[in-house]
Amino acid sequence: MAGRAQIKTSSSALIAMIADEDTVTGFLMAGVGNVDLRRKTNYLIVDSKTTVKAIEDAFKEFTTREDIAIILISQYVANMIRFLVDSYNNPIPAILEIPSKDHPYDPAHDSVLSRVKYLFSTESVASGRY
Amino acid sequence: MDSMDAYLTLIHSLSSTLRQGWLDLASARHSMGASRINTVLLDHKVHPAATSLLVTQDEGKVDSVEPHFTLCKWASSGNGKCSPEEAKSSQDKLHPQLRHRGSSQLYEEKTLSEDKASHELDDQVQKERLKSLSVFGALVSPKLRTAQLSFETALETLVEIANMRSSMLCAFDKVHKKLGSSEG
Repeated sequence: MAGRAQIKTSSSALIAMIADEDTVTGFLMAGVGNVDLRRKTNYLIVDSKTTVKAIEDAFKEFTTREDIAIILISQYVANMIRFLVDSYNNPIPAILEIPSKDHPYDPAHDSVLSRVKYLFSTESVASGRY
Repeated sequence: MDSMDAYLTLIHSLSSTLRQGWLDLASARHSMGASRINTVLLDHKVHPAATSLLVTQDEGKVDSVEPHFTLCKWASSGNGKCSPEEAKSSQDKLHPQLRHRGSSQLYEEKTLSEDKASHELDDQVQKERLKSLSVFGALVSPKLRTAQLSFETALETLVEIANMRSSMLCAFDKVHKKLGSSEG
């Protein structure tokens, strides 16, 4: 039986950021900043005055925009909205947790690694039955 | 397990690159002054991103969605690079007549035309880089330029991480479904 041809769809998309000032400034220097006709940006700078609600709103906005393919979020910011990040299951946009200047990366909090770890623990329990 | 190991290696590499970028940014802020490097100066006028992503998805796979990300750096003018393969294919398209000449002459002319195209591309990319830094003033610290390069490298690593994450989650879904069906 002949295999089906794999048709690839491609589209251009943006990288969004929810991070501290230095991280956002650095990535904006690398050219990822976008301001659309409604003056909406693809980034949120998080500082001591940024509320958890503002971070949640930005996360929800970026995950529902069709022109965003990757969201970079500092891990310490992701920890503030951990429930929201861990319950997000779509392949696009991809949520990447990144370290920040003052908070190094902790693999124990990464949502992708947590899922894989859970899978291994489930598998080892399942295989123990046979 | 191999994927997890590769994922963690990439994260470690990303951390090192970002650390270098933050350090260079702090050095540039120290030499140029804090008022010259802050987010108040960011460009709030309507403008497209100079660096974006190309997202590819196989529609042939009905049971899983595994997107693939490709970074397109400095492509707002249409002259930036998406990947080395795409840059080469665009150069081939520009010079189809070279295919009909003798092989050694073809090789030399193709090398020269590739070099010329490559230089033009590099010039365009340099112009885009300078334009991006121009929000901080006409004269900027060399440390700001090296910080820019560090963050560009970090973007490349992030795209690799995104692709690795995508394949890990796809494999996770398949195993999860298989476990679910075997228990049922």
